[in-house]
Amino acid sequence: MKKIVPLISVLTLILMTWVSPAYVAEKSLYKIGVNLEFTGPWAEVTKTVRNAMVLEVERINKMGGIDGHSIELLFEDNGFDLGRTAANMTKFTKDKQIIAVVGPFEDNLQATSRAIAEREKITNIIICPSNPMVRALKQKWAFNIAQSDIIVSQKLVDLSLARKYKKVLVFPAAIPLAKSLAEFYKRFGEEKGMKIIISQETHKPTDIDMTPQLIKLKPIIEKEKIDAFYACTAGPPGPIICKNLRTLGVKTPILGTHAFGFGFIIALGGEAMEGVEFGAGKPVVPDQLDENDPVRTINLDFDKRMRERDGVGLDQIAGHAHDTISLIYDALKRCQGKVTRAIFRDALENTKGHKNCHGIYNYSPTDHDGLSKKDMVFIRIEGGKFKRIKFPGFE
Amino acid sequence: MSTWTYIPQLLSSGITIGAIYALVALGFVTIARASQIINFAQGEFVMLGGVITFFFLKVMNLPYPLAAFIAILIVILIGFVMHLSVVYPLRKASIVILLMATLGASIFLSSTSGLLFGTLPKTLPPFSGERPLQLLGVSVLPQSVWVLISTLILLIFLYLLSHRTLLGKAMEASSTDPLGADLLGISRNLMVFLAFGVSAGVGAFAGILITPVFFTSYSSGTLLGLKGFIAAVLGGWGKNSGAILGGFVLGIVESLSLAFIPAGYKDAIAFGILLLILHFRPKGILGSPFMDSRRW
Repeated sequence: MKKIVPLISVLTLILMTWVSPAYVAEKSLYKIGVNLEFTGPWAEVTKTVRNAMVLEVERINKMGGIDGHSIELLFEDNGFDLGRTAANMTKFTKDKQIIAVVGPFEDNLQATSRAIAEREKITNIIICPSNPMVRALKQKWAFNIAQSDIIVSQKLVDLSLARKYKKVLVFPAAIPLAKSLAEFYKRFGEEKGMKIIISQETHKPTDIDMTPQLIKLKPIIEKEKIDAFYACTAGPPGPIICKNLRTLGVKTPILGTHAFGFGFIIALGGEAMEGVEFGAGKPVVPDQLDENDPVRTINLDFDKRMRERDGVGLDQIAGHAHDTISLIYDALKRCQGKVTRAIFRDALENTKGHKNCHGIYNYSPTDHDGLSKKDMVFIRIEGGKFKRIKFPGFE
Repeated sequence: MSTWTYIPQLLSSGITIGAIYALVALGFVTIARASQIINFAQGEFVMLGGVITFFFLKVMNLPYPLAAFIAILIVILIGFVMHLSVVYPLRKASIVILLMATLGASIFLSSTSGLLFGTLPKTLPPFSGERPLQLLGVSVLPQSVWVLISTLILLIFLYLLSHRTLLGKAMEASSTDPLGADLLGISRNLMVFLAFGVSAGVGAFAGILITPVFFTSYSSGTLLGLKGFIAAVLGGWGKNSGAILGGFVLGIVESLSLAFIPAGYKDAIAFGILLLILHFRPKGILGSPFMDSRRW
């Protein structure tokens, strides 16, 4: 009996060590580099990205990681600077333990990081691939998270058809994304028999007053009997256009892009935002998704966890950050223990039917965009809040 | 529809933005008159006025007038601190060195604002409603009327300050004849110090006026500062009346130009006008007290 007691104790100790988190930590870490604009104009947005990514990684690691391997995020600030973006990317590629790199955020920085990713053969996950020209390169190692300009335009055409708008005037920003959104909207709209006029007047993201441009567009709205005005833009110009248009006494319904689906846009535009409609990602209205929506519980759960920890709810950006980590986790699981950069890339490319905040992701060798039109919802701003609207036959 | 039908509405839009340019230009001129320094952080004072008021109004939940008042006081304090920490230690350096120092201060102020108050743009509620007024067939926001009236009041205040008070006269004296001012016992350093406070206060006031119409973010001071500088040079560098005239001319020309050319060239118009003026009339529209007419 005296010999059995120490034996049991030793066996118990070994067993405890085996199942304890300390043992999990001993297994190698799966490292992911994050190359984002933590300082500069996107600082507040990237803070949300960081918080949401950390929240999701902590949950995964608490559950035991991927067969005992925890995920570790390595953050580097690129300071909204091309040189630092390239330096960070190169630094990450040199560290052979890093499996993939997330970011950067800004248009012109992405082209550089994607090119380095192609050369160095490392997966580069881009959260907001807003430059359609870069996106269209269909690079082997780059994967996109946010909805493409094509599906955003298709969704808005659906909204226009559901509202029976026959003539729409588009006022695009002078940025590649807005130009592409305007052109796709025109193409898909005209296929469905609509008349789309793209204004020759444009605006810059830095414009603080659009009244002069809108004064020139007002006669077109009246003469052509325009049914809706499409503010094809992102960021502060959205609310500026709505305010200026209403000040000029134009009562035409306003359509927006998915970039209108953020709380600060309503805060900036105030009353002028009332009635603005657009298509956006599901995280804009987590609690208004259908009961049978396959991603409703994911959205509600993540929204709840974000509120508990950071005091702010889910938004589209936080949703993208969640989806990024969730896709990485899913691909790592499918690597079945043999995790190399190449195997991880192939696993990510084979993502099929993966449910996330924004919808169901399907990647393939010809499609690195993941989402489809079905993964978006129609939104209307009402009473200073986002309200989901539905149309039979269009959803 | 004829291009000319846009003109009244474009004019109204130009006058509003012109008033703001005039206020920023006045800030430049106030400091220049006291010390001949070009303070490139002037635009940041405007930005800080809007951002700090937003902070006290929305985060600290103070009443609007109190939030605005505290913001102006804080920005004046920042103006004083900037003088003591940036300009005063370099008082013996050349104007170019001082110009670079104020540029550095401008970057410091905008980055610090981004760090403390966030990088997303902010807006303030309008002083009295958002419903546009119809004046002679032109839609005008009530806030635009506020901008104009307040600018006018501030201009009268600044006029009285510089022409009717001993302080204003002393400030001007220290700029136009530094030796004479010294001999009369006017402390030039004190005058520059006070000019920084006045200029920061004017900037903050302008920031509070425009934030309900144009939004403010940590980086919005740079362009406003540049436009204000152009306005000050356009009207006549160093003259209060020149700054006001330059501001309105720039705002109106920028706005009216859009009737004839696409919007993308709007900013180019401002800089184009500056180049033309510098080429044909380097002293500005009303002439500059700092430039010897014999040189031209």
